[in-house]
Amino acid sequence: MSAFPNSADLLHVLPELIWCVFGALLMLLQPLTQSRRFLTIVAVMGAILGVCGNFYSVHNTGTAFSGLIAADRFSIFFSHLIGLIAIMVILGANSYLERERLADAEFYALVLFATAGMGVLASAQELLTAFIGLEMSSISSYILAGYRRDVLKSGESSMKYFLLGSFATAFFLYGIALVYGATGTTNLLRMDVTAGAESTSILLKLGLALILIGLGFKVAAAPFQIWTPDVYEGAPTPVTALFSAGPKAATFALLLRIFADVHAATQFWFYAFWILAALTMFAGNLGALLQTNVKRMLAYSSIAHAGYILVAFAAVTKLSADTNIGAGPAYAAVAFYLLSYALVKVGAFTIVSQFGGAGEKHLSLDDYAGLGERQPFVAAALSLFLLSLLGLPITAGFFGKFYVFKAAVDAHLIWLAVLLAANSIIGAYYYIRLIVIMYMRDPIPEVAATTPIRFPVVVNVVLAIAVIGTLWLGILPNYALNYLLKPGLINDSQSQITQMK
Amino acid sequence: MQTIPMLTILIFLPAAGVMGLLCLRKDDHEWIRRFAFVVSLLELMASVWFLLAGVPLGSNGYKLEEFHQWISLGPHLDAPQTWINYHLGVDGISMFLVILTAFLTVVSILCSWKSIDKRVKEFFIMILLLEVGVVGVFLSLDLFLFFLFWEVMLIPMYFLIGIWGHDRRIYATIKFVLYTMSGSILMLIGILWLYNATGTFDLPSIQLALQHGGLVLPRSTETLLFLAFFVAFAIKVPLFPFHTWLPDAHVEAPTAGSVILAGVLLKMGTYGMIRFCLPLFPDAAKRFATPIAVLAIIGIIYGALVALVQPNLKKLVAYSSVSHLGFVVLGIFAFQTVSMQGAVFQMLAHGISTGGLFLLVGMLYDRRHTFEMSQFGGLCAPMPQLAAFFLFVALSSMGLPMLNGFVGEFLILLGTYQVHWNWASWAATGVILSACYLLWSYQKVFYGDITVEKNRTLPDISTRERAILVTMAVITLWMGIGSTFFTDRTASASQAVIDQMQRPQHAEEAIVPAPAKPSQPAPGRPANATGSAIAPIASAAPRPNSLERLGTR
Amino acid sequence: MPILDHLWIIPLLPLLGSAINGLLGGKWPHNIVNSVALGATGLSFACALEAVREFVSEPNHQALVHRHFFDWISAGTFTAGFDLQMDQLTVVMLLVVTGVGFLIHIYSTGYMAHEGGYYRFFSYLNLFMFFMLILVLAANYVLLFVGWEGVGLCSYLLIGFYFLKKSAADAGKKAFIVNRIGDFGFMLGMFLLFRAFGSLDFTTVFQKAADPSWAHEPWGQFGTMTVACLLLFMGATGKSAQLPLYVWLPDAMEGPTPVSALIHAATMVTAGVYVVARSHILFVHSETAMVVVAVVGCATAFFAATIGLVQTDIKKVLAYSTVSQLGYMFLACGVGVFSAGIFHLMTHAFFKALLFLAAGSVIHAMGGEQDMRHMGGLSKKIKYTYWTMLMATLAISGAPLFAGFFSKDQILLGAYTIEGGKPLYAIGLLTALLTAFYMFRLIFLTFHGQQRYDEHHVHVHESPRSMLGPLVILAVLSIFGGWLALPAFWGGPDYFANFLAPVFSGGEASAAAAASEAAAHSLELPLAGVAVFTALLGFAVAFWLYIRQPGKPEAIAKSVGGLYTTLLNKYYVDELYAAVIVKPLLWLSTEVLWKIVDVAGIDGTVNGIAHGTTSLGDTVRHTQSGNTRSYAVWVVIGALVILAVIFLWPYWSAARPVAGMVR
Repeated sequence: MSAFPNSADLLHVLPELIWCVFGALLMLLQPLTQSRRFLTIVAVMGAILGVCGNFYSVHNTGTAFSGLIAADRFSIFFSHLIGLIAIMVILGANSYLERERLADAEFYALVLFATAGMGVLASAQELLTAFIGLEMSSISSYILAGYRRDVLKSGESSMKYFLLGSFATAFFLYGIALVYGATGTTNLLRMDVTAGAESTSILLKLGLALILIGLGFKVAAAPFQIWTPDVYEGAPTPVTALFSAGPKAATFALLLRIFADVHAATQFWFYAFWILAALTMFAGNLGALLQTNVKRMLAYSSIAHAGYILVAFAAVTKLSADTNIGAGPAYAAVAFYLLSYALVKVGAFTIVSQFGGAGEKHLSLDDYAGLGERQPFVAAALSLFLLSLLGLPITAGFFGKFYVFKAAVDAHLIWLAVLLAANSIIGAYYYIRLIVIMYMRDPIPEVAATTPIRFPVVVNVVLAIAVIGTLWLGILPNYALNYLLKPGLINDSQSQITQMK
Repeated sequence: MQTIPMLTILIFLPAAGVMGLLCLRKDDHEWIRRFAFVVSLLELMASVWFLLAGVPLGSNGYKLEEFHQWISLGPHLDAPQTWINYHLGVDGISMFLVILTAFLTVVSILCSWKSIDKRVKEFFIMILLLEVGVVGVFLSLDLFLFFLFWEVMLIPMYFLIGIWGHDRRIYATIKFVLYTMSGSILMLIGILWLYNATGTFDLPSIQLALQHGGLVLPRSTETLLFLAFFVAFAIKVPLFPFHTWLPDAHVEAPTAGSVILAGVLLKMGTYGMIRFCLPLFPDAAKRFATPIAVLAIIGIIYGALVALVQPNLKKLVAYSSVSHLGFVVLGIFAFQTVSMQGAVFQMLAHGISTGGLFLLVGMLYDRRHTFEMSQFGGLCAPMPQLAAFFLFVALSSMGLPMLNGFVGEFLILLGTYQVHWNWASWAATGVILSACYLLWSYQKVFYGDITVEKNRTLPDISTRERAILVTMAVITLWMGIGSTFFTDRTASASQAVIDQMQRPQHAEEAIVPAPAKPSQPAPGRPANATGSAIAPIASAAPRPNSLERLGTR
Repeated sequence: MPILDHLWIIPLLPLLGSAINGLLGGKWPHNIVNSVALGATGLSFACALEAVREFVSEPNHQALVHRHFFDWISAGTFTAGFDLQMDQLTVVMLLVVTGVGFLIHIYSTGYMAHEGGYYRFFSYLNLFMFFMLILVLAANYVLLFVGWEGVGLCSYLLIGFYFLKKSAADAGKKAFIVNRIGDFGFMLGMFLLFRAFGSLDFTTVFQKAADPSWAHEPWGQFGTMTVACLLLFMGATGKSAQLPLYVWLPDAMEGPTPVSALIHAATMVTAGVYVVARSHILFVHSETAMVVVAVVGCATAFFAATIGLVQTDIKKVLAYSTVSQLGYMFLACGVGVFSAGIFHLMTHAFFKALLFLAAGSVIHAMGGEQDMRHMGGLSKKIKYTYWTMLMATLAISGAPLFAGFFSKDQILLGAYTIEGGKPLYAIGLLTALLTAFYMFRLIFLTFHGQQRYDEHHVHVHESPRSMLGPLVILAVLSIFGGWLALPAFWGGPDYFANFLAPVFSGGEASAAAAASEAAAHSLELPLAGVAVFTALLGFAVAFWLYIRQPGKPEAIAKSVGGLYTTLLNKYYVDELYAAVIVKPLLWLSTEVLWKIVDVAGIDGTVNGIAHGTTSLGDTVRHTQSGNTRSYAVWVVIGALVILAVIFLWPYWSAARPVAGMVR
């Protein structure tokens, strides 16, 4: 294998390249123009083009950079997902930035860089590559979190995120080091081969454990979720939207890939995931139960959902050993869940960012009282998102949760499934409470006085995407699902493994 | 293969109506009402027309089946591809429940004509959505589909109570949702477990596999599954001690909500027991029969006694439902053809009579805006007609012969008595108590002198109200006198449930239930006595059946 | 067309009448309502007569006529058809019901003329006729139960006719609920019968029961028959106001007097007797049941009579006397002389209806006054009423050759001749004495002595013809109604018993009855003599107390104060029931079931869980100190936890091979 990347390699990472290029471009453009609209258009163009950049990989999947990057259907799915998130966030952010008088070029640039990083993360097949992706996304995220420089909360959030984030990154790095020590490689595929069946070495185990911890931080799995509420609350709402959807998706993607490739991991991790899932679900739901701040509530709820996804992971660890069912459906469950979840969360946060008003003052639940009367469509959309988060039928969330349940039961993790059930009930309470407030309470005086907030077109576009997507996946999940269920989702060229032996 | 997908039409006609309503102007109340009314009326006529024709007398098994593969679930067990199917079907039992639903929807739309004046459009949308969910529940033959509709139904009911309800509506509605969800999610786990074991969600296939030993559940598994389903249904029924959501929900719900809630939603619980608990897990059902019967009897007596002392008229009716539904559960778990027939009939009768009671209570509320009996008294004088109807409905509800309430109760008790004389004897005390609380409340409300001045001038029932009440009265009489019209049609279905409880060891006695198009038992792995988890049968039961089912049409 | 094949017409006519009046009568003048109601009843009476004629004129009029019209209920093995049947027993009941009913309808047109809700009254009355006819014509227990409950409903409606009066409403409710308690037994009885015989049709049940394979159940053995009979009898005690369920009947006097006459004297209350007689084949199989019936009947007869001694409300006296007379009928059934019971049922229908109607006429004359202490000396003013009522009184107290004489005599005879029946006989005789006493007390207080009311306020006036006509007819019946049995005295045939023989042959063939038959003729005259003597005695005492020295009763009352007040308060039975059953039940329901179990217990648990969760949530929320260092600590702790889990938790998959990942 040659040291120099050939065009094929580059084409395989085209989306990431495009995103980076446009990021840079935006930074260059900023001095030249003041037109927010123009910059926004460029940014959106970049995001969209990035998604389009997948066309090559779609048609010839495989690996790039001699196996550092996997361009299989799995990574394609995620780079689409991440691109979609980027598009929605940028569109949603536009009016927000205008309102908060924040420079938007950097913002968009950072979003695009972060997106690129996530893309790398999702398609990395080699731990150091993954680490690069992780850092790309993280560092941009740190800055984004503190983007409202003048606001103390924002700075605080950025700081916390940075400190704890680097803390976790350290874990991740140690993990890589140890794994390398144990197996002599950082390439996931080779790793499994070299580790082989007798993969019970303490070193490998420790390494994988540390990696898990590092990534657990990124996906906000309890007990590493601790940073989430503060960061989410402090960050500008569009950024929160990005955080809640993007990094999660990418990191979970990496975890899945590790599973798919490193069988040893699946052996080690079962109990860890069991505990993580249980803790995370409860931490999220119980935390959200009494929140009076919408942003914070949604932050906790995103923790809870990480917990649900972790249930599916626990199932994966078991199923991948179960020959006659196989982990395929479980992978599909995770991927599908992330998709449905991202749509909903971005949509919800977009609405929140609109209602926040100048300086994000209106974030308490009471500000939403009587919304059903004042702005029926927005209220309906938000309710739809909430119901999807709650997992009621004809929403994407229903199927997402359903597949997770299914995975758990397939893996005979009945008790975990019961815990999941219990948590859904707890979750139901606070989601429903918000709906109650929107539809069954009269608006509080000061809100009632103000005129309903007009939503700019672009924001409505975002909402439209979210709503339609949610309903579509909720009624006909097949399209997404068949794609995910088709054999050979990850490493469709299984030959690689054998050939490497 | 029939040409028109009748059942699909039945389910989604109201949904189409919702689309129509969305197009209407928000403040155009009159037309919104009319439109909703017309839609519900069409639905009613369609249900009567389709179903009575579709389920010929004495026919066996599911009719008007519709079967489409809906969502692929990837490979499972040794089946290359498994599906969530869009599988509908109707038999003698579900037929009448659907008709009842359609009828009560019409009624509830009519009865909220005047009383709902805020957010009219949303209200009628919710009512129609509710109808979609309920009809779907009764017609689904696919466990997943069933669960889906079961959950769908929650949302509109939640809004109905929460938005148009009375003072403590929010507490009530959240209680209602959480109660129901906690049951249904357990049921979801049960459903998934069954899928995991069989590789299909198709009820007839699973039932067949279980009945003919294609799938053998070890005792413990069966118990857990049975409970997972039963608890969900018991909460819905509601069976003592899961009943406390009911009084709150009923009292706070608007009249239309109460009518549908009492008339139909509660029946979903008992229907589920008949359709799932008994056929799928007969041994567990038999094991649990006694405790369940005890709970049912407690419910009967308990509900009646508590109703006896309610100062709040609507709460009284709510508790009376607890009592009446206790009879139904008892009838189901006596495993007797007669009592099963009685239970099914009682479900319908209770729908009409208790629906009627809520209707009348609602009419009183429209006039006086209170449910407190102390606020009434001597209403016979200002509103003789309403009083007359109230008495009539009350009598039917307390099971006066020649009215609908009697037949069901009588058959249930008669059938139960044949096997458990003591159960029946205890339950029969409910007959006395029902007379007590209904007559006492009736006296408090309608007899004696007028205590509150403003009652003196209350208007008697309007033409619209009279129309509703007369219709209900006629149906009540018809069901009471011409009960055979119903029992003849539910007979085979009820019998089928009893037969489906037969298990391999005496399978030869069991007539093969109709959905089993391949009349020979589904070949499956032999029953492994040790019963390690489950014996997969995906190869045997699900898809061949489904395909054959498709082929034969 | 032969009515016999269309028996349904007989009950249907009153139903139509009821429906028409009930739905349309509101706006009609009285005379139209009358014509509808009377027309319906009269026609059905005519039809009944015609049907009876056809029945008896049939060549083999032994055979019972059974007609199936449509299936009413059917499920599994159980079917109950709308079947009507006609046999000798039915004939008697049919004629009594329609005949007396018709008369009372006529009477009511006069009596109710000035009441509100006129049409309502007649609608109810017709409805009652319908259910009562269903009851007597029914060919299976379920249909009988229809009538059984239906008449209960009508009595509820008619007792509560003056629903503005709380007492009236209470009485109606009480009647219905107490009856329900009886019906509870009745239903269980039916269930048991179905379990035993697989059917509830009279013919099937009785054929199977008559089958010798059913052993005779001696005293103390509680076999199917005994239990079934006792359960049925429980129903009977409710409907026919026997101990311990008699309490509703006296209160039922709140209803308009014609109602008391028709429902609570002549027809409905006798339904219990009818059922026992109808099911005699079952009863004779069980000694226990028979004894219970006899004893309860006898006890009730005496018990009620004692209460009747001191009542001052004219209708209350009659009410208790009704309870007492019904006791006689059950006594008859209990000792196996069913025909005598039915005979008494018929005669009683005549004279008791008459008594009530007359009493009604008195009340009418007195302008609503019911307390005998404010009457007196009316005999001159309202002659017709006086004379007719006197006839009835003579009949009920068993004056020779009056209707009551024969029937009561047969019952006492039956009681006397059955082995171990002497005590029953004695009590029965004593009751006869009391009966004579309180009836004449009533007569004397009402019609004789000096008038104790204010001439200016009430101007006494004789009732209209529409009321007097029925009185006269019934008076005639009460005189001659018993003569069917007259020839028996000189060893001639007892036409009534012979007529009923085909029905009761099964029953009277039983040991008890056989003995009585044998002993009958030799004993008949002496016993009759004794009975007459007691009656005279009763009359004499009454005469002495209330005509000779009017001051005496109070004196006696004072001297036996305790006993007197006890009787006056009906042995405090109502109070007892209230204290022992009603209050505790209500307390239990309110304080325990509702407040504790429901609200505190179940809801408490539910809300408790909710609160627990929220408080947990609160603590979780407060782990967010906002302090970054503490967060770092958290992360470390978490890391340690995960490491611990991974390393210390045993491998779940130690043994298992690792399989291919994604398919």
